[in-house]
Amino acid sequence: MAALPKRIIKETERLTKEPVPGISAVPHDDNLRYFDVTIDGPSQSPYEGGLFKLELFLPDDYPMTPPKVRFLTKIYHPNIDRLGRICLDVLKSNWSPALQIRTILLSIQALLGAPNPDDPLANDVAQTWKENQEQAISTAKEWTAKYATRDTNPTS
Amino acid sequence: MESPHPEERPLKKRRFFAENPSPVQKPPIRPVSPHAAVPPANELSPEDNDAGKSAPQDLDGFDVGMLQAIVGDLPLDTLRKLKDVSGSDVQKAINLYLDGSWVTTPLAASVTSAKSRNLPLQTTLRKIPKRVESEQSTTSSTDSGSSTPMAPVIKAMPGDRYIGSFGAVGWATRSGTGLIRHDEKVGISRQKSQPKAGKTPKRVVQVKKPDVIVRFTNYKGEEVGRLENESANWISILIDQNICAFEGKVVYAPDKIRTGETVYLQLRASFLRSAFDKRKFVKPDANREISIFEQQESSDEQSLRLRQVGLVKLFEAINLHPNRENANTEKHKRQGLLQATQKDEPEKSKQKSNSTADPTSSPPSDAEDGKELEQDQLDSLYRKAQSFDFNTPEMTPPDTFRLDLRKYQRQALHWMIGKEKAESLTHKEESMHPLWEEYEWPTQDADNMPVPVIENQSMFYVNPYSGELSLEFPKQEQNCLGGILADEMGLGKTIEMMSLIHTHRIEPPTDQSPDTVHQLPRLFKSSADVEAAPYTTLVIAPMSLLAQWESEADKASQEGTLKTLVYYGSEKAVNLQKLCSASNGANAPNVVITSYGTVLSEYGQVVKENGNRGSHGGIFSLDYFRIILDEAHFVKNRQSKTAKACYELSARHRWVLTGTPIVNRLEDLFSLVRFLKVEPWSNFSFWKTFITVPFEAGEFIRALDVVQTVLEPLVIRRTKDMKTPDGKALVPLPPRTIDVEKIELSKDERDVYDHIYLRAKMVFDVQAEKGNLLKSYTTIFAQILRLRQSCCHPVLTRKAEIVADEADAALASDLANGLADDMDLESLIQRFTTEGDQDVNQFGASVLKQIQSEAEAECPICSEEPMMDQTVTGCWHSACKDCLLNYIEHQREKGEVPRCFNCRAPINARDVFEVVRHERQPLTEDSKDSPFRSNTTTAAPSSTQASRISLRRVGLSGSAKTQALLTHLKTLHRANPLAKSVVFSQFTSFLDLIQPALDRDHIPYLRFDGTMSQKLRAATLAEFAASSKPYVLLLSLRAGGVGLNLTCASHVFVMDPWWSFAVEAQAIDRVHRMGQTEEVKVVRFIVQGSIEEKMLRIQERKKFM
Repeated sequence: MAALPKRIIKETERLTKEPVPGISAVPHDDNLRYFDVTIDGPSQSPYEGGLFKLELFLPDDYPMTPPKVRFLTKIYHPNIDRLGRICLDVLKSNWSPALQIRTILLSIQALLGAPNPDDPLANDVAQTWKENQEQAISTAKEWTAKYATRDTNPTS
Repeated sequence: MESPHPEERPLKKRRFFAENPSPVQKPPIRPVSPHAAVPPANELSPEDNDAGKSAPQDLDGFDVGMLQAIVGDLPLDTLRKLKDVSGSDVQKAINLYLDGSWVTTPLAASVTSAKSRNLPLQTTLRKIPKRVESEQSTTSSTDSGSSTPMAPVIKAMPGDRYIGSFGAVGWATRSGTGLIRHDEKVGISRQKSQPKAGKTPKRVVQVKKPDVIVRFTNYKGEEVGRLENESANWISILIDQNICAFEGKVVYAPDKIRTGETVYLQLRASFLRSAFDKRKFVKPDANREISIFEQQESSDEQSLRLRQVGLVKLFEAINLHPNRENANTEKHKRQGLLQATQKDEPEKSKQKSNSTADPTSSPPSDAEDGKELEQDQLDSLYRKAQSFDFNTPEMTPPDTFRLDLRKYQRQALHWMIGKEKAESLTHKEESMHPLWEEYEWPTQDADNMPVPVIENQSMFYVNPYSGELSLEFPKQEQNCLGGILADEMGLGKTIEMMSLIHTHRIEPPTDQSPDTVHQLPRLFKSSADVEAAPYTTLVIAPMSLLAQWESEADKASQEGTLKTLVYYGSEKAVNLQKLCSASNGANAPNVVITSYGTVLSEYGQVVKENGNRGSHGGIFSLDYFRIILDEAHFVKNRQSKTAKACYELSARHRWVLTGTPIVNRLEDLFSLVRFLKVEPWSNFSFWKTFITVPFEAGEFIRALDVVQTVLEPLVIRRTKDMKTPDGKALVPLPPRTIDVEKIELSKDERDVYDHIYLRAKMVFDVQAEKGNLLKSYTTIFAQILRLRQSCCHPVLTRKAEIVADEADAALASDLANGLADDMDLESLIQRFTTEGDQDVNQFGASVLKQIQSEAEAECPICSEEPMMDQTVTGCWHSACKDCLLNYIEHQREKGEVPRCFNCRAPINARDVFEVVRHERQPLTEDSKDSPFRSNTTTAAPSSTQASRISLRRVGLSGSAKTQALLTHLKTLHRANPLAKSVVFSQFTSFLDLIQPALDRDHIPYLRFDGTMSQKLRAATLAEFAASSKPYVLLLSLRAGGVGLNLTCASHVFVMDPWWSFAVEAQAIDRVHRMGQTEEVKVVRFIVQGSIEEKMLRIQERKKFM
C-alpha cells in the first residue's frame, strides 16, 4: 500500500488527541485506513444508552471519495439496513473532501437522533416508523438494549 | 508592261550581282528593303514615265530594267545621273536612289578605283544617318539618343552587310504563266501600311494584323506571292525593326503558277547598319530601377523580345554559330531562347518544352511567386556548389587576426580573396560580357562568292537575350567582386568574413579613389556627393546579431587593429560620411555594423529627398570597400523594401552570408544575385526567361541546371556533414540527439482543442462548399494558428472569437460576480467593502480577508499546511490547487456537476483562482508582464506592500506542455545543477505563460524576443553566456532562430513545431554549433493527436521527398 496520505495521518492524530465526545475511532495496527468506531446513542433518542460499533474504511482515493462506513451493531433504524449499511447523503452524493472522519461520524450520530423514514434504506422499518412510530421507537429501544450493550461484543 | 526580258528564262548570269565584271568590284551595298524610304523624287509625272520607257537601251551596261523594277519608272536624266553616281552598278544605284543621296553625291566620290574602294562608300554612307534616324523614329519610340553622334565603328559599317542565306518556302498569290522563273531575283518586301496605293501597282497593300505577311515580288516588282508563315513570322519582325534586309532568288517555281502553289526561294539576309545603332535601345537594366519588375512587359520589352526571337531564328536558319560565347551561359542559352518560341524545328524538340512559354504572350503576372522548391530539388541545387574540393589552397590571415582558422576556413579565405581580387585578372584579358555572343561576318555567300570585307570589322556581337547587336566588343563589366558564402550555420561564416576583412584591406595612405569612383554613377545619378569609403566594410545584419558581430570582431582582432562601429540607434548620431570618407582615412572605422532596419529607414529618408544620398550623411552617402549582408535571406524577397534598399548600396565588393541561399523559391536566389550585381543574372527578365519560366513550365531539371551554373562560380558552401577525405568531420561537433516528446493534453485542453478544431472544420467545410476556399485561406490559416496555439496553451486562444461564446457567458458571469482572470486581492477587498453594505459584499469582503489571512491555513482536502498553491473557488473556498483541481476532475469523471468541496455550490471550472503571493517585487522588465496580468501588477494600490496577493485564474499558469517542460527542467537541474538550457517557441505569448511557471518553480530565466531593444538583447545574451546561474533562455523562434551563438547551453526545448523543420534546425543549431563541447539534447514537444503531429508529418515529407 502506498504511503499513508498526510491527511489520514493528521485526521487520525486529531481523533486521538481531541476525541469527539461519544465517538471513538481507532485505526487497526495492520491497516491504518481501517478504523474501529464506536458511537454512543444520542440522548433523547431510542438509541440512548447504547454503544454502537461500526467499521470505517478509507478507500484509496479518499478524500475524493467518501469513507465506507457500516454498522456492526444491529440497529432498528429506517435508514440503516440489516447489514448495517447507512443511508446518509454525506456518505453518498453529498460527500465532500472537506468532510472528515470526524464530521462523518457526527453526522451518523445525528442520524440516530433524527431518523428519516421518508428516505429509507430498510423499507420495513421505515414502514413501521411511519405507520406506527411508537411501536417502531419501542422496537428500536428493545434492539438497543439487546444488541448495543456496552459489555457485550457485538457479533451481529 | 515593258520588260527587257520578255518570255524567256533569264540567263544564269542574270543574277543580281552578275553585272559586275569582277567580284572585287562588287559594291558592298544591297538594296534597302523597299519600304525603307519613299523619296519625294518618286512623285513622278506621266511625262517622266514616258521618258523612262525609252531609257533602257541608252544606258549600256546599266540594268535599267532592274532599277526601275525596284524603284519605279524614272526619267532618263535621273537614270543617267544614277548610272554615273553609282558607276554603272545597279545595285548601288538603287540604294543611292532610295537614299535620296544621289542628288548630292559628287560624281568624283563615286568613281570606283581599286585603291580607294572603301573610301567612297564611307563618304556616301555619311550622308545616310539622317535617313536612318527618320526611319527609327517611325519604328521605335525609344529612340532617345538620336542627338548623340554615331559611334565611329558604326559609321564604318555599310548600310547593310551580308550575313547569310537560307532556303524559304513561299506560295503564290497570283496565277499565271511565267510570272517567275528559276534563279530569278525576287524582292522581299513588307509593308505595314500603304499611304498611297494608287500609282505604283507593284506596291502591295497589306495592313491588318496579325501582320507578319512578307511578300515577294518578281524582278519586275510584281507581287508573286508571300512567304510561308513559319519564316514570315520572324522575317517580318526583322524587317519591321530595321534589323535585316532580305532579298531572294527563285530556286524552283513551276512555269505555270496557280494561286497557292509553292515556290521555293533562297533568301539572302543582310544586317542593316541601323541594327547596330545602340542608341536605339534602352538598356534594360540598372538605372531603370525596379519598376521593370513591377510592370507587365512593356511594349519596348515586347519588341525586344520579338527581335530576340527573330535573331535566333535567323541565326538558326542561316546556320550561323557564334565564335565565342560565354561558357557559363553557353549550354542553356540557345535552348532557352528557342524554347521561347513555340515553333521549334523538330530536331530541336528534345530541348523544347511542351509548355506555351512564349515570352511574347504576357508572362505569368505573379512570376515572383515562383513555385516553391522541393527539398530534393534544393539538394541537387546545392550539390554542385557543395562539391567542395578539399585540396583547395588555403590562405592564412595576417597577424592582426587573432583566432586560429580551421582548414576549411582558410580555404574559404583563399576563395574569397580570389573573388575579390579577380578584378585585375579579368580586366587584363578582356573577357566578353556573358550575355553576348561573337559572330564572324561571312566572307563568302551561299554560292561561295566572296562578299566584301570591311577592315577591322570581321566580327559582330549579338546579345541573344535582349536582341541587341553590336560591332564593338562587349566587355564584361566586372561588378561582382564578391559572392555568396553559404556555409551551413555553425561553420563560422562570421569568422571567415572577419578573416577576409583582415586579409584584404586597404591601408589609409593608398589612393583608391580612381578605382571606386567609377561605380558611383550607377545609381542616384543626381547626387554626386557619395563619398568613397575605401577602408570601410559595411556589415548589415539582423538587429539581434549586431552585438554578436561586434564581439566577434573584437575577439578576432589583435587589439587596435580593427576599428568597429555599431551604427544603430543612438550611435547613428555620427556623420558616417565624414567618418568613413577617404580623407578621414586614419580614423575611419574598418567595420561598420548596422541592421537591416537601419538601412531601410535611411533608404526611406534618401528616397524622400529624391535620392540625394549625400545630404543625409548616413549609410547611403558612401561607396564602401565592401558590403556584407549577414543572414541574407532577409532580403530574399526582391520586392521588399529592405531588399531594394540593399540593392542601392554601393560598394566594390559585395558579399552575402546565408546558410540557406534558397529558402523556398528560386527567386530567393535572384535577390541575392541582384544584390551582388552578377551579370547577366541580375537582370530579372533574363532570370525569368531562363529560370522562372522553364521552372514553372515544369522543366525543373533544366531550370535547376541553369541555377547551378549561376551558383557554381558564386557560391561556396560547406555543410556540417561534410567529411574530409580522411573521413573526419569538417567540424567535429559533439553528438546531438533530438527527441520528440508526445504530450497528452489534459481534458480541458482537449476540450478547447476539439472545440477549435470543430470550428475550423466547419469554416473550412462551409468555404469549400461555397467554393471560395482559396479566398478564405487567411481565415483558415488563422484557424490553424489557433489550433497550434491551443496545443501549446489553451489560453493562447483566449481573446479570440473562437472561444467567444464560451467567453461571453463567462464574462457576463464574471461581471456579475466581480471576477476576472486576474485579480488583486487587496483591490477586490476594497471593492467589496466599498460597493455598499449588502450582505453578499460583506461576506465577500470577509472571506477575501480570510483568504489573505489563511495564507498559512491547512488544506481542507489534503490537510497540507500551508496549502500548496492556495487556490480558491468562485465561492472563495481555498484548497491546494492540485486538491481542488483533482476533486473537480473527480466529480466530472463521475458525471457530476462539480461542486464546491465546502459549500457544495456548483463550481464553474473556469472560476478557480490561484492565490499568487508576490514575494518579490515585480521585475523592472516590463516584458515580463503578460497581457493577462499587466493591469494588476502595475495598477494595484497595494503593490508597495511586501506581500501582495492576487488571484489568478487557474489554467493560465499551466498547460500540458508547460508541465512537461517544467518536468524536464527539474530533472535536468537535478542531474546537472549548472546546465543551461534554451526554450524556443514561435509564440511570444506562450513564452509569457511559461515565465510565471518558471517563476513559481524558482527557475532562473532570461528572455529574448523581438520586442527587446538592441541593448537589452546584447545584455541578455551576455548575461546568459557569462553567468554561472543555470539559466533558461526563453527565445522566440523568429527573433532568436538565426545567427545567435548559444553554445553555452546544451539543452534545447522546442515548444512547438514549425512547418518546415529547417527553421527548427536553424534554431537548434544556435546551440549545436562550433564551440559546443557537450552533447546537445533536444526535446521537441508535440501534442498527440493534434495538428502538431500533422505538421510533423509535413516536415517529414519535406525532408524526404
